[in-house]
Amino acid sequence: MSSPLQAFKYVKKDTFMDSLDPRSKFALSISLLLASLLSNSVTVQLALFATAAALIAAAKRASQWLPTLKALTPLVLLIFAANLVFTPGMPLRGAALMALRFLAVTTAFSLFFLTTTPDDIALALEQSGVPREYTLMLTMSLRFVPTLADDVETVTAALLSRGFQLDRGNLLQRARNYVYLLVPLIVYEVRRSLMIAEALESRAFGATKHPTSLYKLSLRPVDYAVILVSAIVAATPLLVNTATPQLP
Amino acid sequence: MGRYAIEAVELHYRYPSGYEALRGINLAVSKGEFVAIMGENGSGKTTLIKHFNGVLKPTSGKVLVDGVDTRNVPVSKLSRRVGVVFQNPDHQLFSETVWDEVAFPMRNFGFPDDVVKERVERYLRLMGLYEYRERSPYLLSLGERKRLTIAAVLAYDPEIVVLDEPTAGQDYIQKEHISGLMNLLRTMEKTVVVVTHDVEFVVEHVDRIILMSRGRVVASAPPGELLTNPRVLASARLMPPQLVRLAIQLEKKGILRLDGIPEASQIVEAVLKRWTGG
Amino acid sequence: MLADLEGVTYRYPSSSTPALVDVTLGVRQGEYILLAGPSGCGKSTLARVLNGLIPNFYGGVLEGRIVVDGKDPRETPTYVMAMSVGFVFQNPENQLFFSSVEREIAFGLENLGVPPEEIRERVERVIAEYGLEDIRHLAPSELSGGQKQKVAIASVMAMEPKLLILDEPTANLDPFSAVKVLGLVRREVDARNIAAIVIEHRLELVLPYVDRVVVMDKGRVVGDGDPYSVVVEHAHVVGLPSIFDVYRRLRARGLELGAWPRTPEELASRIESALMGRGGE
Repeated sequence: MSSPLQAFKYVKKDTFMDSLDPRSKFALSISLLLASLLSNSVTVQLALFATAAALIAAAKRASQWLPTLKALTPLVLLIFAANLVFTPGMPLRGAALMALRFLAVTTAFSLFFLTTTPDDIALALEQSGVPREYTLMLTMSLRFVPTLADDVETVTAALLSRGFQLDRGNLLQRARNYVYLLVPLIVYEVRRSLMIAEALESRAFGATKHPTSLYKLSLRPVDYAVILVSAIVAATPLLVNTATPQLP
Repeated sequence: MGRYAIEAVELHYRYPSGYEALRGINLAVSKGEFVAIMGENGSGKTTLIKHFNGVLKPTSGKVLVDGVDTRNVPVSKLSRRVGVVFQNPDHQLFSETVWDEVAFPMRNFGFPDDVVKERVERYLRLMGLYEYRERSPYLLSLGERKRLTIAAVLAYDPEIVVLDEPTAGQDYIQKEHISGLMNLLRTMEKTVVVVTHDVEFVVEHVDRIILMSRGRVVASAPPGELLTNPRVLASARLMPPQLVRLAIQLEKKGILRLDGIPEASQIVEAVLKRWTGG
Repeated sequence: MLADLEGVTYRYPSSSTPALVDVTLGVRQGEYILLAGPSGCGKSTLARVLNGLIPNFYGGVLEGRIVVDGKDPRETPTYVMAMSVGFVFQNPENQLFFSSVEREIAFGLENLGVPPEEIRERVERVIAEYGLEDIRHLAPSELSGGQKQKVAIASVMAMEPKLLILDEPTANLDPFSAVKVLGLVRREVDARNIAAIVIEHRLELVLPYVDRVVVMDKGRVVGDGDPYSVVVEHAHVVGLPSIFDVYRRLRARGLELGAWPRTPEELASRIESALMGRGGE
């Protein structure tokens, strides 16, 4: 499905990135983030963006990422324009830096989410000491996103089928129209969450403070290599930070 | 003015995800006909009925409601002619009170207040919900919520009524009630389309069954013909009604002759004839 | 006796009318029971008393004698009850939490703190038993309704409960898949000598498999015993399967049809035999 958030949703593929431990993939994305934040060079931002984009392509997920890129473009331009207009004394280059930084960071994290299953993310967190109650919240929220999307569609279809015109009227009226959607949706999802809670309890959730785990993540040599490369990437801007004018 | 209430011509529908749910559907439902759409889960039944009031528009081909191409009319307008009751009542409750819920579509369509009042009262009484009229829809039981969604659609008097799995999850008494409702719709000469798995339910009311499998229509015939054909039904993961299965076996054993959908009395009589006649 | 209830009465927290009234019920291992009755009769409530969701999750006032695998749900947290009682809910969507079938099956065992090697062993066994090899890495969205319910049952059975409860497990399934699921439960009852309670409205689908029928109405148990006699007696609330109707009428006219028929095919054979052995015992 073509959605603006498609680039943050895991798709199942079998590439090198998929074989990596979630922690090394996370290190990679974090390093791109750090490098982006630490660098004041437009060139570096472009390079980071290009790197992340290339890795996405190498992981065969370009077609999932592009719709989001398209949806983000107006936002990127907005950031550029807003910085230019609302920050006094901001040079063109500075605004471009902000906009590109946004782009680089979102692409870096798109790389992570496209290639890492929610279950792996939860597992990585658990092995790092996060209690299961919290990691479950994460896994389940992600797992139920498509379910929720279906519900929105169904309720919308029902509302329209009762002769209600959602897109009638001015902006304020339209906002009020959407309340008709929200109420049954919220009730429905609250009910659903109660049913999920029942099912969790019936599966002995909470029986012990330290549940065991079928899977165990372990870092392989290639993971350590990726982490090392990530550290280098993060450190690079400190070297490349040229004497460009500091931003106000 | 079309000849048919609903017509589908080479209807194809592909979901945005790429999944082809409907692969060339051709069908026609005559005015006043009572049709059941049956088939396994995933055969495209619900996708198909969403085309009848324009919620979905064809990827290719067309759907005509009373001769009008659905692509040219918004859902809110088509719904005036085609009332759809979806499967889960909890997806279809939009008002604070039971009364308002039944009034909701009529108000959307611009009915005068006195008409709304009269119709709401009539249909609430008809569905046995009048005593709950000031209550929140969410406080009703599941069966009551189901009746409420049906009341809301019937009250504004669409010419075509579409129901998605009306008997799913219903107990015996509730099913009887819905059966009675179907009879009522027949007397009102409405065109009715029911999506269902329930072969026993379908036998009583339906003029014709449209059988679907994997996005295509695989058969279209009266119940007497279709429900006595286990092979065709099996291709849609359905089983004939119990009495049909019984009659098929008894026919194999030479005890009676299968002729359409048998009633229990007919089978009992046929067996007793052999019992006494020898 | 696996489950022993006597004089059980229950009221939901915000309710003045009791949902269960003086319920007495005994469940033994090896029994496959159909729990039937009109909507609102208390079937789902009773089911939840057996696995401890009532009173632990729902609160309310629960009275009477209740012993399930030696435990009283009023003194036992749900997660301990879950070691003896497995519960499969109606909507598969709301009881599959993970993106892989394998993980789903392991989940209950993880919660119980079972060591990873043992989890692996039991998961492999369940996957083999239920024929889930081909789908072990699939996510719920990639499964059909019937497959989802199968996975739900497998995930619950991996915990090796002594009592399996299924609350309208086939409501969202087509008849073929429904029958598969109900037959699967029969297999488990026979193979492991567990007890199973199924709540189901479509009698024709489930009667071929069960040993006993319990009918409830307005919070009370009004019928309990042989499927045929209980269903016939309470046909006005649960409906009468057509083959029971034919069977009853033919027997009333003197045909020797033997025990009640589980399927139309079985009834047809009985009728044939009765007609051929006319005059015999």
